[in-house]
Amino acid sequence: MDTQAKLQILSGAARYDASCASSGSKREGPSCGTGNTSSSGICHSWADDGRCISLLKVLLSNDCIYDCAYCVNRSTNPVERASFTAREVIDLTLEFYRRNYIEGLFLSSAVMRSPDHTMERMVRVAEALRTEEQFGGYIHLKIIPGSSSELVRKAGLYADRISVNIELPSQASLQRLAPQKNKQAIIEPMSLIGREIADSLVERKVNRRAPRFAPAGQSTQMIIGASPETDFQILRLSQGLYKKMNLKRVYYSAYVPVMADNRLPVLAAPPLLREHRLYQADWLLRFYGFSAEEILSDEAPHLDDSFDPKTAWALRHPEFFPVEINRADYATLLRVPGIGVVSAKRIVAARRFSPITPEGLKKIGVVIKRAKYFIICSGRSSEKPDQSPTVIRQRLLLGEGSVVSLPKQLVLPGLFA
Amino acid sequence: MNSYLYDGTADGLLSAIAWILEVEPDPEKVILSARKDTLFEEGLTINTDAALAESFFSRLKQYAPDAAHTLYSFMLAEKEGMETSLLHYVSLAFRHGDKVKGYLTHPAVRDIVNVAKKAGRELHRMKGLLRFEKLQDGAYLAKMEPDYNIIHPLAYHFSHRLRAQHWFLYDVKRRTAARWNKGSLQFGTIEQFTTPALSEDEKKVQALWQAFFKTIAIPDRKNPRLQKSNMPMKYWKYLVEKQGE
Repeated sequence: MDTQAKLQILSGAARYDASCASSGSKREGPSCGTGNTSSSGICHSWADDGRCISLLKVLLSNDCIYDCAYCVNRSTNPVERASFTAREVIDLTLEFYRRNYIEGLFLSSAVMRSPDHTMERMVRVAEALRTEEQFGGYIHLKIIPGSSSELVRKAGLYADRISVNIELPSQASLQRLAPQKNKQAIIEPMSLIGREIADSLVERKVNRRAPRFAPAGQSTQMIIGASPETDFQILRLSQGLYKKMNLKRVYYSAYVPVMADNRLPVLAAPPLLREHRLYQADWLLRFYGFSAEEILSDEAPHLDDSFDPKTAWALRHPEFFPVEINRADYATLLRVPGIGVVSAKRIVAARRFSPITPEGLKKIGVVIKRAKYFIICSGRSSEKPDQSPTVIRQRLLLGEGSVVSLPKQLVLPGLFA
Repeated sequence: MNSYLYDGTADGLLSAIAWILEVEPDPEKVILSARKDTLFEEGLTINTDAALAESFFSRLKQYAPDAAHTLYSFMLAEKEGMETSLLHYVSLAFRHGDKVKGYLTHPAVRDIVNVAKKAGRELHRMKGLLRFEKLQDGAYLAKMEPDYNIIHPLAYHFSHRLRAQHWFLYDVKRRTAARWNKGSLQFGTIEQFTTPALSEDEKKVQALWQAFFKTIAIPDRKNPRLQKSNMPMKYWKYLVEKQGE
């Protein structure tokens, strides 16, 4: 099979991995080699599904011994199988990199023979790129659950980011849909990586030349909609991963049916809105100071379809509003629907010079379409004060001029006469 | 209200600003524009002094590095008619330091910061969207038509990245070029550009990239609007993966 045919099979099999970040690592490349990394990351193209392409995202092989129900590469799925040689992956990476098509390599793989056998071959690719080819670009290595800690450590030394995919958010779902995987084999390398990253950071404070371990951190991915977990369960799991294991990112991937299986739900389309809402909630966890318990509860365990999670929170907490733009601190500003990190920072920076008027707010680029129901600005509000959450809800949904229609009561003539 | 003129060059603009800040007690009441030699032009022409321009810029860089960076990005945009805003911005930068960036309620600050942001955004975009082609002699060539004059910082970026290659950048509209070879970076203009022959394996590598580009998209999630908003069509002309669409 020629390289192009392999590339088509093995990139098509890798596309369900959402992560394509190339950020978080800054490296001056080797002086005689090719490539460096920039801390902001660089996108090189955008595919037809609108997602950014920054890495050559491929599997080393799609020849899998596992039979996970949700996966396109499951052993019982009759797809064409292919495996790259290490040389092929290295050449592709370098040829693409020299033409500025990519920021680096994202290498994952199906499980060939055993986790260790697979992991070893993946690590060898990264090692050859770094040591033989003097490649200084970005490398993201996927860790195969169940591979030895020795190989995990080696992977962290060559890669910028390493990740172990959780895939299914509970042990019960794993057992049902991916019987050859287990929670322990996933969690163990994750905590090992977490510890190694922390140790290497401490060591590099003492010795600037100490080796870096996965400088862009570790991430993971969960499939959304293939199993019955609630959004609350998922968010609480993410929160734990951020807090306890120090993860950089949790990715959510809307389940795309790849093969009929009676253990899987039948979906008309991938649950993209749910995925979007989970990302919004994830951002609230990481950058907005929210906790999972503030966003959802056991009584209401699913994210609202019609409102983003912050607006939904605000509608449940009318006592928090209105917020005075000129006095509220940064953390409070961040809780206003429609005001994000950029807007909140702009407000804090601009009010040092003079109080901000409602017109000034527009001028500094704060979009007040949603925010206006929740703020006052120099004592003024562009909305009538004290609107009930019900009214705001309707205005947000239907737009400006909507009239609230109270539920009509049916009055039968003569009933009370 | 005093009016001043300068010769329309970047050095002229900076030396004019340096001079005005030196002699004018209230620079925020001064108007500065490029000389066009029309009949009704009013104002004193300030001579261009490249040394003054440079020392002025490094002084700003030391005092307010972030504001100096904004000024640099603004200059990439080659905008005409915003000289007065720039003068006021720089004057405020010397008063408030780097905090000036946050003074977006001030019209001059807003105008300058917005233009600088657009130029900076295109520079970042081109770091990703630039495409090199391998030539017959083994060198690499990238053509581009950016809105802003970003060839200098862009070449600087690639001089750190593709160090082991011999490469050229060519701005087709401005006819300017950058060249990196064996550790040295040069800039120049090209009057007559003839497209050199490609190396033999170039088309093959391009076909590989096109194949990858097609298969990496998830068919069930097709979203051309999102693709276009992230990657505007004006950049497609030189994108290998967008040829023949």
